[in-house]
Amino acid sequence: MPRLRPTKAVLFAIAALVVLLLLPLAVGPYPVRLATVIFMWAALAGSWNLLAGYAGAVDLGPVVYYGLGAFATAALMLRAGLPFPISVVLSGGVAMLIAFAVGTPTLRLRGAYFAIGTLALAESAKQLALAWDRLTRFPLTGGSAGISLPLSAGYLLFYYVMLVLMAGVTAAALTLGVSRFGYGLRAIGENDRLAEASGVDIHRLKRRVYVGSALAVALTGGTAGYWLSYINAAEVFSASVSFQMVVMALLGGLGTPFGPVLGAAFLTLASEILGTRSPYYYLIAIGAVIVALSLFLPSGLSGLARQWRGRHPRGTA
Amino acid sequence: MKLLEVRGVAKSFGSLMAVNRVDLSVDEGEILGVIGPNGAGKSTLFNLIAGLERPSAGGVHFRGRSIAGLGADAVCRLGIAKTFQIPLLFPRLTVAENVLVAALYGGGAGLREGRRQAEEWLAFVGLAHKARMLAETLSVAERRRADLARALATGAPLVLLDENMAGLNQTEVEAVVALLRRVRERGRSLVVTEHIMRAILGLVDRVAVLNYGEKIAEGRPADVMGDPTVVKAYLGEAGV
Repeated sequence: MPRLRPTKAVLFAIAALVVLLLLPLAVGPYPVRLATVIFMWAALAGSWNLLAGYAGAVDLGPVVYYGLGAFATAALMLRAGLPFPISVVLSGGVAMLIAFAVGTPTLRLRGAYFAIGTLALAESAKQLALAWDRLTRFPLTGGSAGISLPLSAGYLLFYYVMLVLMAGVTAAALTLGVSRFGYGLRAIGENDRLAEASGVDIHRLKRRVYVGSALAVALTGGTAGYWLSYINAAEVFSASVSFQMVVMALLGGLGTPFGPVLGAAFLTLASEILGTRSPYYYLIAIGAVIVALSLFLPSGLSGLARQWRGRHPRGTA
Repeated sequence: MKLLEVRGVAKSFGSLMAVNRVDLSVDEGEILGVIGPNGAGKSTLFNLIAGLERPSAGGVHFRGRSIAGLGADAVCRLGIAKTFQIPLLFPRLTVAENVLVAALYGGGAGLREGRRQAEEWLAFVGLAHKARMLAETLSVAERRRADLARALATGAPLVLLDENMAGLNQTEVEAVVALLRRVRERGRSLVVTEHIMRAILGLVDRVAVLNYGEKIAEGRPADVMGDPTVVKAYLGEAGV
């Protein structure tokens, strides 16, 4: 068993976490905000990676739980007058219940059918959220106008919450590399029929990781909604959020613990830098970069790191 | 009580009766051979027993308990493991991890115990030196051994081997036969399918012959080989 590698990875992750915890002491508000955006996307892409990268189930509608988290948190704060931390945790619980109910039938779909099913689900959720106030007696979503939240408690809170979310999701992925549950999931991702014939209850394992990933996405969505202090259904349920999660995880390296973090950092920084320098062309440039990376680096940025280590071996274990 | 009892089991795919009211039983410690020409329904019968397909009719009982309609994972945890005709592996897990998954989930072992068992079964099938390789790097003969180690690691008392020797040369076949004898010595019962009779006649205690989904003969290998129906079913096949 490759015991040394995970330990090294964990040490690296802890060192990085300590640096990031202290970062706001050293830099101004702009880099902190930018880092918050990266952490947010890393948490989202990392959650998607847990199911797709390990169990091989491609979910094209993870935005459901992002939008759900945002609106549930907002509703609990605005309607029930609860403070943000309680609201966001409760909305995570709601997302888990819904994910359990949704996952029970949909996770039986295999391959492309699961992808299409979840994509359709996300679109339905968006339409439902847009029509919610018209259809029910409990206005929550503000229809197409959206809703505003109370102005938030300063950017440092969001920096740390998003950092914790990213760290939690990354830690979960690291655990999957060496745990019983992780071996089961990876077996499903490799060959679900053989996993089943080896005694793995594939449906239960997949549902467990789906529910866990829905929790992380909902917590991130709830935090993002409060941070932006304005949410509307068309945006927080937008398929482009799902796709960005997918692209970041693929760019960084599917099924690797740090891939989504790399992908999120790369894409966020690229759009930040290119977006300010050439606002008209940056989307085209990013598109070209994504195409080039997927052509020449199919295993993602963490694959590049592995290749580099392979060519320059030092102190091999 | 019989270890495995199959009663009147049938499976149709559309108008094709792949398996037609087959009865079969396996005793503790027995090696049963199931032979028949290609397309006789051997693999389908195995899939019905292992829970990979649902029978259209009939019952399957393991240690007296009805298991027809249970999922493959539940059947495996109850004690029936299966190897695959085209050996399936988890290609990007290591060989040891392939076996570990079966020990963890099929056998209910913890990580430490599962690793120990995986190591032990890999040594048993002669693949200890490949433990850390990715499974996708194995040759066909090695894949079959890894698949066997995986099936054994589930701890299942009954192992179904689906054409475990197909594509192997004479020396490799003899090695596998010797290996399977040692599997029985470890207290496992086996059901072995093969369409080349010669390979397994020396190994099995009893043999059942399938043709067009029906059982046409059953008995001790020597008797079955002399049965005119069996000879007829095989007519045209070399080596009989």
